Amino acid sequence: MGAAGVLTVRGLRKRYGGRGGVQANDGIDLDVAAGQVVGLLGHNGAGKTTLVKQVVGLVRPDAGTIHLDGVDAVAQPAEARRRTCIQAQANVPITGLTPRRAIELVGRIRGAERGAVRAQTDALLDDLDLRPWADTPAEKVSGGIARLTAFAMTVVAPGRLVVLDEPTNDVDPVRRRLLWGRIRALADEGRAVLLVTHNVREAERVVDRLVVLNRGRVLADDTPAGLTAHLQGTLTVEADLSPGAPEAGWGWHPAVRPVASMRGREVGTVRAADAAEVVRWAQEEVAAHRLERYALTPASLEDVYVDLVGHEQHAGQAAGATTGVAA
Amino acid sequence: MSTVQQTLLLTQWQFRRQATMLPLLVVVQVFLAIATILGFGLVIGDPPPDQALYLATGAPTITLVMVGLVMTPQMLSQSRTEGSLDWMRTLPVPRGSFLVSDLLVWTLIALPGMVLGVVTGVLRFAVHLSPAPWLVPATLLVSLTAAAVGYGMASLLRPTLAMLMTQVLVFVVLLFTPVSYPADRMPGWLRTAHEWLPFEPMAQLVRSGLASDTFSMPGRSLAVLLAWCAASVAGATWALRRRA
Repeated sequence: MGAAGVLTVRGLRKRYGGRGGVQANDGIDLDVAAGQVVGLLGHNGAGKTTLVKQVVGLVRPDAGTIHLDGVDAVAQPAEARRRTCIQAQANVPITGLTPRRAIELVGRIRGAERGAVRAQTDALLDDLDLRPWADTPAEKVSGGIARLTAFAMTVVAPGRLVVLDEPTNDVDPVRRRLLWGRIRALADEGRAVLLVTHNVREAERVVDRLVVLNRGRVLADDTPAGLTAHLQGTLTVEADLSPGAPEAGWGWHPAVRPVASMRGREVGTVRAADAAEVVRWAQEEVAAHRLERYALTPASLEDVYVDLVGHEQHAGQAAGATTGVAA
Repeated sequence: MSTVQQTLLLTQWQFRRQATMLPLLVVVQVFLAIATILGFGLVIGDPPPDQALYLATGAPTITLVMVGLVMTPQMLSQSRTEGSLDWMRTLPVPRGSFLVSDLLVWTLIALPGMVLGVVTGVLRFAVHLSPAPWLVPATLLVSLTAAAVGYGMASLLRPTLAMLMTQVLVFVVLLFTPVSYPADRMPGWLRTAHEWLPFEPMAQLVRSGLASDTFSMPGRSLAVLLAWCAASVAGATWALRRRA
């Protein structure tokens, strides 16, 4: 970990509910440096929220250390909170307020100057295209606008570490792009951003590193390119069989390795070197009305994620009911 | 930014969040006061002047206690359930400020209903009041203690249990506390219990503040009330600081 490290977590363990309880975090190591967006991926119950709650001192770890900007966050939770801002997964209700008023009030409660808060609020309202709703009572805005307001409340006076839990939920595609741009900008300003999400496809484009969490443990920690490296040179091929075509007799081109098959949709992988040959073959299949459509795509991070977590999930099930699953 | 400024900003946040509900809350409180005065009036018939004064000076306490012990914990339980309390706790604000701002808001919200309760009592029973100079601080202390007990209850108990407790308290406070009638009508064990519970001291303080010619405030009751106030504030602060 270099000098630019903002968040350093080592050997973090947390168990809820005593012996028969749930091992939510089971020895987590995690680093987020200044200028980085680190994606934290994992199923529900993988231990993401527990991790975040320990960083801001809402939950006390059983073991392990958390250092935030040089401060021991376990011993000094108040100092840790001063350096962190969090967007929770559930929207904070702001009925009785307008988006603008809520953003400004949080900025001032976080300790920023009135003038600076006002300027920053205006900038955020513009950047996220929220101006039309800025002064609408909160009970009249849509879920997406509420989500963006919650994001703006979080970053109006940001700390050194910014934690965002599913920031794009409910947000429309156009504003989603604005939001990703703003998240990237936070890191470019020199902050450390920890992005908690299920949305592998979108996160892929923004993150510098990805940490995959499962059952309270880190399964993988690498750059997106690093995680997909072993799949480079491999493409995913999907094919929809024509309705009415006999499914029984159909088969892939010999260069394709079948992966999955369900209700007329076939999925396989193919080496890049054989792709041209497979495309030619697939065109002929379409022309002969045996296939309706087909698509070749590069292996995505989502494939890697499903592969990683899927294996672990099966292994866990095989191990039996002796180990608790993090809730 | 000073802690005081932060606390006031937090108060502004909490107050604005409740502001949409405020008119409704006041209506409910007025209803409570009227129900207590007119309802008990129906139960006992046309009360003699001393009982009428007891009823009229008890109703304001009922509204104060209801807001503090019923509405405050309900709102806090709700914010715990919906997760907004947890988010607020991620803000870099001293834990005590949350308590102070919430108590400030709920202490103030209880006041309009209390005033209207007094007015209703005076109009219905044509009683003569003799307000003591310390009536306002006394009312604030009662309101604060009620809110602190409610807050402490909602932060220490599970939300579902806290909600259930508030329902039970409505009945207990209305029927089984020496607020609207003298304690000597109660069975001995209940009277003893009330020597240690906060309800009777609350009623005594408001009563002697409103009709200082007729009633006085025993020093022991004041001590019990202050002890409840201090213990509740301490319990709630501990709950806010606690890390799971």
